[in-house]
Amino acid sequence: MLEVSNVSKVYPTPRGPLTVLSGISLSLKRGDAVAIMGPSGAGKSTLLYILGALEQPTAGTVTLDGRNPAQLAEKQLAAFRNQLIGFIFQDHCLLPQCSVLENVLIPTLVANDHAGYPARARELIQQVGLTDRLDHRPAELSGGEKQRVALARALIRKPLLLLCDEPTGNLDQASADVVASLLLELHQRQETILVVVTHNAELASRFPVRYELSHANLHPAGT
Amino acid sequence: MRTSTLLARNLTWYWRTNLAVLLGVSTAVGVLGGALLVGDSVRSSLRDLVLERLGNTDLVISRKGFFREELASAFGSACPMIAIDGVVAQEPSGRRARGIEIYGVDERFWRFQAQPGEPPRDQQALLSAALERELGVKAGDSILIRVEKPSAIPLESLHGRKEDVGKTIRLRVTGAAFHEFSLEPKQGDVRAMLVPLARLQRYLDQQGKVNTILLANRGASSGPIERTLKDHYTLEDLGLRLRLLEKQRCLSLETDSTLISDDLAGTAAATAKSLGLGAEPVLTYLANSIRVGGREIPYSVVTALDSPPAPAEADGITLNQWAARELRAKPGDAVSLDYYVWKSDGRLHTDSAQFRLARVVPLKGTAADQEFAPKYPGITESESLHDWDPPFPLDLSRIRPIDEQYWKQYRTTPKAFVPLARGQQLWGTRFGRLTSIRIFPPSEAYGKELRAAVDPAKMGLTVFAVRARGLEAARGATDFGEYFIYFSFFLMVSALLLTGLFFKLGVEQRMHEIGVLRALGFSMPRLRAIFLLEGAFLAAPGAVLGMGAALAYGGLIMLGLRTWWIDAVGTRLLSLHASIASLAVGAAAGMVTALGSIAWTLRGLHPVTPRSLLAGVERRKPGRRSLLVGTITALMAVALLAAALARKLDQTAGFFGAGTLLLIAALSFESAWLNSRSWAPVGGQITLGLRSATYRPGRSILCVTLIASATFLIVSLDAFRRQGTSTGTGGFPLMAESVLPLIHDPDTAIGREALNIPPLEGVKFVPFRLRPGDDASCLNLYQPRNPRILAPPAAFLGSARFPFQDSVARTANPWLLLESEPSDPVIPAIADANSMTYALHLKLGEEFVLDQTRFRIVAALRDSLFQGELLISEKNFLRLFPDVEGYRFFLLDVPPARAQELTGVLEAALADYGFGIQPTEARLAGFHKVENTYLSTFRNLGALGLVLGTVGLGAVLLRNVLERRRELALLRAVGYLPRHLAAMVLAENVLLLLLGLTTGTLCALLAIAPAVSLRGGHLPAVSLSLLLVAVLVTGVAASLAATASALRSPLLEALRSE
Repeated sequence: MLEVSNVSKVYPTPRGPLTVLSGISLSLKRGDAVAIMGPSGAGKSTLLYILGALEQPTAGTVTLDGRNPAQLAEKQLAAFRNQLIGFIFQDHCLLPQCSVLENVLIPTLVANDHAGYPARARELIQQVGLTDRLDHRPAELSGGEKQRVALARALIRKPLLLLCDEPTGNLDQASADVVASLLLELHQRQETILVVVTHNAELASRFPVRYELSHANLHPAGT
Repeated sequence: MRTSTLLARNLTWYWRTNLAVLLGVSTAVGVLGGALLVGDSVRSSLRDLVLERLGNTDLVISRKGFFREELASAFGSACPMIAIDGVVAQEPSGRRARGIEIYGVDERFWRFQAQPGEPPRDQQALLSAALERELGVKAGDSILIRVEKPSAIPLESLHGRKEDVGKTIRLRVTGAAFHEFSLEPKQGDVRAMLVPLARLQRYLDQQGKVNTILLANRGASSGPIERTLKDHYTLEDLGLRLRLLEKQRCLSLETDSTLISDDLAGTAAATAKSLGLGAEPVLTYLANSIRVGGREIPYSVVTALDSPPAPAEADGITLNQWAARELRAKPGDAVSLDYYVWKSDGRLHTDSAQFRLARVVPLKGTAADQEFAPKYPGITESESLHDWDPPFPLDLSRIRPIDEQYWKQYRTTPKAFVPLARGQQLWGTRFGRLTSIRIFPPSEAYGKELRAAVDPAKMGLTVFAVRARGLEAARGATDFGEYFIYFSFFLMVSALLLTGLFFKLGVEQRMHEIGVLRALGFSMPRLRAIFLLEGAFLAAPGAVLGMGAALAYGGLIMLGLRTWWIDAVGTRLLSLHASIASLAVGAAAGMVTALGSIAWTLRGLHPVTPRSLLAGVERRKPGRRSLLVGTITALMAVALLAAALARKLDQTAGFFGAGTLLLIAALSFESAWLNSRSWAPVGGQITLGLRSATYRPGRSILCVTLIASATFLIVSLDAFRRQGTSTGTGGFPLMAESVLPLIHDPDTAIGREALNIPPLEGVKFVPFRLRPGDDASCLNLYQPRNPRILAPPAAFLGSARFPFQDSVARTANPWLLLESEPSDPVIPAIADANSMTYALHLKLGEEFVLDQTRFRIVAALRDSLFQGELLISEKNFLRLFPDVEGYRFFLLDVPPARAQELTGVLEAALADYGFGIQPTEARLAGFHKVENTYLSTFRNLGALGLVLGTVGLGAVLLRNVLERRRELALLRAVGYLPRHLAAMVLAENVLLLLLGLTTGTLCALLAIAPAVSLRGGHLPAVSLSLLLVAVLVTGVAASLAATASALRSPLLEALRSE
């Protein structure tokens, strides 16, 4: 379960405190998929990073699988993210010096268990349709392919929560469709909690639950 | 918007990278300009020392013997003085200082130098500060000086006084200030003293005479001075005299030395001939015995003439009636002459010659002439034979009353006459083969003509342009500017590589921008021009900043030479002299090379497509090309190494050539490897980190190059360091030099007895003749124009001691080449390989001219104690330098365990000669110290290059880390801890460091192998390992700092896509 309770985020600025998020609450269970939309600067990414335990809320709590990452020491927090959260960013953030397979396996390098990951990586790569690009390096892939590698990488540790920050933002329509389809398909197959932050209304429309982030709060989309 | 606007925007927007490039240029300019300034500074300092110590002296008139003090009055601004080397001792402590310059001066010296102060009077002596310190004396202390007693008669002739070569004078130190004065260009302290001229003249029995005149010539040539000298010298100044013999109706040309050289004899005869006068050469000698059958006459004067009463027959002899009567000899009888001969082996020999009595002449006319014999002190003025005090053994018991009666009545009247040619064959010496020349009839014109015909310079009265020579020598044996350019080479290369690296980083940072500009229609040449212009705009202020850095760097090196590296220069008197020219050259060269480095960086941009540029993709080198380059250069390196090992190639060329090729080969292979995909699979943070080295292979290789080059330098230099022990001692534990010459051979029982050396078991002397001159070793910074020359005895040459580096002819014993008789009149000489190359700037087989004599280096000693001199055969030495007498350099074979004890005994026994002994290993260690200090300097500056390399590595890592911040942020997001990231960065850094260190070390070891196998050397494993570990640690620390710096910045920012 992902439980977000009264989460606020305030940034100090020279002109006074800037409230980005205010009293956001959300509850998602395994298999849920949510799209969060909103204009630039609304705080979508901030919310995503708070959900992903990359940033601490100013107030409120976030718990994932019953654990509050804010209470974890750095080492446990890193392991928490590694084990329970998968990330996909607008910029794929692949390591240029590593092959497709190696990039997918990157998160497993700091995992406590090492069982069967190469096989799983190959399977995921097959699922994203890049079996024939296994040994290629990122520079030899198209944008869509890179994002598919990033998707496989995000799922390698079978995360409970999959967070995507504009996953199709840099892609053409066709690639964006492919990536979106794969994202939803794999989410369903793996029963993750999927939270996608996007500008893309078309992508958002493919999600059963959609929110609009405006005025520092979440509103169901269309309301 | 114009290109210039774009340029200005670029310069300000990327100010951090640009600042780094600017600093790189200023470092290169600073290092190059600083090195040039060092050269200028050393030269200028040496020049200043010469000028300061000479004062107003431009020229010097000097002679080995003495001449009239009044001669000085012929010159405008002149100062007569006595300049002599000696030993100074403090009586109570027994402390001695050898090789001290002693100047006998009076108030004229102060007037000449235009200095305030009072001359020393009576027993006063003014000591230079360095000499005072050395002796530990203060004003009022009593000191003894020991100097060579002038002897007109050659010591190595029969009548030379060999046991009484010195004179001791007691003086008292005065506290008056001594403005340093020296006629010798030397970088060290002046070890000199001034003593009252009149007192020194009296002690040396040279009243009214001097051996030196200082002249101020205001920089004009020496020509007018030479003409004035020629106009005003007298025959007496050259030790010549013309005596009118009224009874004989002739002039007798005689010399103070009692011998007339062949040169002078030729001039005297030619002058006589030109005036229509007759010349009769005379050689008079002392026979120990004239024997006929069992009868003999002791101690008789014998004269050799070309005319009667000497017989015409080559083996004939004429006896006067007195002698014939005493010997009961009649014509046809066999006559034996026994006589002493002082031979060049330092021993007195008794030789014998056989004659046939040609005739007997009455004691009248020419046969009764007492004036054939020159004046021999201790003999000719004696009243009786028993009063004789000759410098050779005399058996008074052999003298009979009748002999005394002859002496009383006829004095030096010859008892026998022999043909001149025979006499010269028996008694001729290198100093001359005549004792007088008689000119018939006496003519006043003869003296004038002879004076005009004689060249004073040939008679030793020479004019030295001492200032000009000093300034010429001040150019230095070593071009320190050149050396420090070499020494700083890697530092400079590092700075340039860094400049290129920073520029490359800047360019890579702007790949996307370049792509955009290309997409917008900028051609690649135009883009390159913009970047180059940017580089120029950075290089110009960099060069200006670099000139300041050059002053600082030059000042630092000069400080180093005065302090940490003082062993290389042996003086604290060097200071920084800023030269605009050097600064400008350094700035220009630094700018040009920096721009070259930038241009080289830009050349790699061309083949990259705009799309790749937009994608930020670096073009990868095809691995096959690198492999090919690596293979070819490796093969070439192997060929050079083999050639060097087989001695088909110069060692230095072999080392640098093979070293460079090996480095290129290794770096090419590494480049191919980094560009390849043959990597171990990523299995953890370490392997992931290692994989990062392939992220930008060009940068990685540049870092490896920086570190490998500096490591190569440091390792190879350390391997060339010399150790204290060496075969260069020739197996002799001790060596010695004396201030006064030893005429006797100290290796014979008779010689030791004459020299008062106590009987010593197991001590063997090898005496060398020494012609003083400039020290040709690395201990002398001045250029040796007139190197010291040594002549070992013939027996030493056969002993084949000391290892040789090379010789012109393949021979088991290159010493014997000294005795070879070349078809052309060139004197074979041997030099130490180091002195030959670095001080004399000669190569094996090359010729050089010294005092109008041609010498050729026929062999080069390897790392020997003879680094300060040239060696020639004794035979050639005696021929070339007949006036240089006795032995002043010695090698001593002693039991090593007793070396210290024997040093004390021998120094005490020969104290009057200023005999100083030094362990040969200490001498070699002194040379090695200089060499090692140079190597240390080189190494330290190389290490600075290594530091720059490490800085470069740190910068590259930081850049890499910053460029990969998003990746790193992602890794943090997926659960990586900072330590994981640090481990990754560290692994990459350590890989590059280790690659650089091992590449540099292995290439250096391979490259130096031939040179080390031939000239020796060792690898100081401990110190070298410590240095390399220190570099590793520094590199690791730099990478940790880079990682920490990168991780400190908020990673989330990197992840934000908006």
